[in-house]
Amino acid sequence: MRKVVALAGNPNVGKSVIFNALTGARQKVGNWPGVTVEKKEGICKYKDIEFYIVDLPGIYGFTANSIDEKIARDYILHEKPDVVVNIVDASNIERNLYLTMQLIEMEANVVVALNKMDLAKLKGYKIDVRKLSKELGLSVIPMIAVKNEGIEELKVAIYYATKHRVKPFLRYNDGVERIISAVQEKVIEHNILSNYPPRFVAIKLLEGDEEILKMANFNEEVIKQWIS
Amino acid sequence: MDFIDVMANARYELIGEILGKSIERVSKPKSFSDLVDVVVLDKYLGIPIFLTLMWAAFQFAFSVSAPFSDAIDIFFTSAADWAKANIPNEVLASLIGDGVFGGLGFVLVFLPPIAFVFIALAILEDTGYLPRAAFVMDRAMTKVGLHGKSFIPMLLGFGCNVPAIMACRTMENEVDRKITIMVNPLMSCSARLPVYLLFAGAFFAGYEGTVIISMYLLGIILAAIMAKVIRKFFFGGEPSPLLMEMPDYSMPTVKSVLTSAWIRTQIFLKKAATILFIGAVIVWFLSVFPWDATNGGEVLENSYAALIGRAVEPIIAPLGFDWKAGVALFTGFMAKELVVGTLGILYGVESEEAIIDAIAHDFNPITALALMTITLIYLPCLATFGVLKRELGEWKLVGLIIAYELLLAYIVAAIIVGIGCFIEVM
Repeated sequence: MRKVVALAGNPNVGKSVIFNALTGARQKVGNWPGVTVEKKEGICKYKDIEFYIVDLPGIYGFTANSIDEKIARDYILHEKPDVVVNIVDASNIERNLYLTMQLIEMEANVVVALNKMDLAKLKGYKIDVRKLSKELGLSVIPMIAVKNEGIEELKVAIYYATKHRVKPFLRYNDGVERIISAVQEKVIEHNILSNYPPRFVAIKLLEGDEEILKMANFNEEVIKQWIS
Repeated sequence: MDFIDVMANARYELIGEILGKSIERVSKPKSFSDLVDVVVLDKYLGIPIFLTLMWAAFQFAFSVSAPFSDAIDIFFTSAADWAKANIPNEVLASLIGDGVFGGLGFVLVFLPPIAFVFIALAILEDTGYLPRAAFVMDRAMTKVGLHGKSFIPMLLGFGCNVPAIMACRTMENEVDRKITIMVNPLMSCSARLPVYLLFAGAFFAGYEGTVIISMYLLGIILAAIMAKVIRKFFFGGEPSPLLMEMPDYSMPTVKSVLTSAWIRTQIFLKKAATILFIGAVIVWFLSVFPWDATNGGEVLENSYAALIGRAVEPIIAPLGFDWKAGVALFTGFMAKELVVGTLGILYGVESEEAIIDAIAHDFNPITALALMTITLIYLPCLATFGVLKRELGEWKLVGLIIAYELLLAYIVAAIIVGIGCFIEVM
């Protein structure tokens, strides 16, 4: 059986190291369609499943403003990979989790690879991985990819994620949630961009994301009326 | 507050809550990098430190490279003499002696300082200082209407504007990107360096580093001003905020410094073997033909070069330049090193005395500064021109760049000459 696995993360988190460790020599380098951004693909076999691994560009967020962010976002929304491995730099965990939050908003089937655990320790962080996993509602695999530590565990986690899809829900503060759910109701009611997760569409409409607004054929005024 | 900021805050708030439950932060003494950053990233000290380091880089490059440059100079001068004395066909002798050894050789004299500038920059890069420089400059940049992220392309522009303009692709905001591209040609690329080195060496001995760094600063300041002007009149809006990481400081290794300096130097050498070589031959041809009229380059006034130069002369004469500078600026459009190569050929074929002495005869410190400034500003080179069109996509914007650059070059040069005259009168 073949499952699609996308690697997502900020720049400089060790994404290529993990990609290479997973795929070995079985990889192919090309371009994303229509742009000159490098696309790396590879194969990794585990038990009865063949993971088809796609390395997404290193990004900080999912706006449609930069080519890299747009590629990653379109891939996750349109190709709907079976698993998204979110590589998080444990020594910069706060900033890195920002992307994780957005992956969860996109309802991706996320596995967090918590890389650079050694650096985090040097910085004086003591991370309770089990607790973090529980709080986020998804698997978190501690790793030191440059020393090849955690690669096997990551494969196992990806394998289980292909079998059992997680759907974590993260609740923001009440004020924000009230606004999001008001818009989300309208999104569902009017069947707006129904092939995308409604919560994601609601947040993007509220953020004034130009591409989503254009696709939904809305202007920001309508949204403002909804929440007033 | 926009909802985009509300969302960002909400996400970070939740991250804080989650980490509060799952992370324990053992307080540790500040790391070496943190301690250095307290000073280097200081609000007031940051920019002076940046300028001092850049100045030191140039001064280092200039002094260390001098003997190497002298050696190359001696080699090409004697090669030119040998060619002229030993090649029987006089046209061929002139081509090899004046065109190739005189013109191209004169550009290659500047290979050592360029290589050492690259070494100095590679050291700054490998230590991890350059991203800090970007951070320090961001504060100043956003004030003048440039995006902080544009500092990296701007910095790359010191090497070559072509990759620098392509690097603007990393900028998220389309308006920020276009503005950064449009002012990037003002960043002083290494092709302008030979021109600075020649004139600073000839007229400002002992202060070369200071003069050259002020050219770079002038470029930065003009880019900042133009960015503001272009944003105001053509785009509108505010630059978006910057998010960047600071790698820890590290000890640069000899190997990686030399490798990255060599890669950049190689580009210069390749350029010398191709476009600069062709340019030198063209300039030589223009300067000695028609062969009979110029008497084999003896009477430069009758050459095709003089014809072109005289056409440009009325425009630049008020600044104190003669037609030779006109030809140099004309060919400089192909590649900026050719300004120096052209002067080498024009002065070389005419007189046997050292070219620098000949140049010292036709220029003075004020006109030298003015010519350096014009070379900095006046036009993007041919390669940059191509990449500007490709990355901006609109001829209109490329036209705008050319118009503002020509105008700006003239105005700034006129101001320099004006101030120079004023000081003389005083």
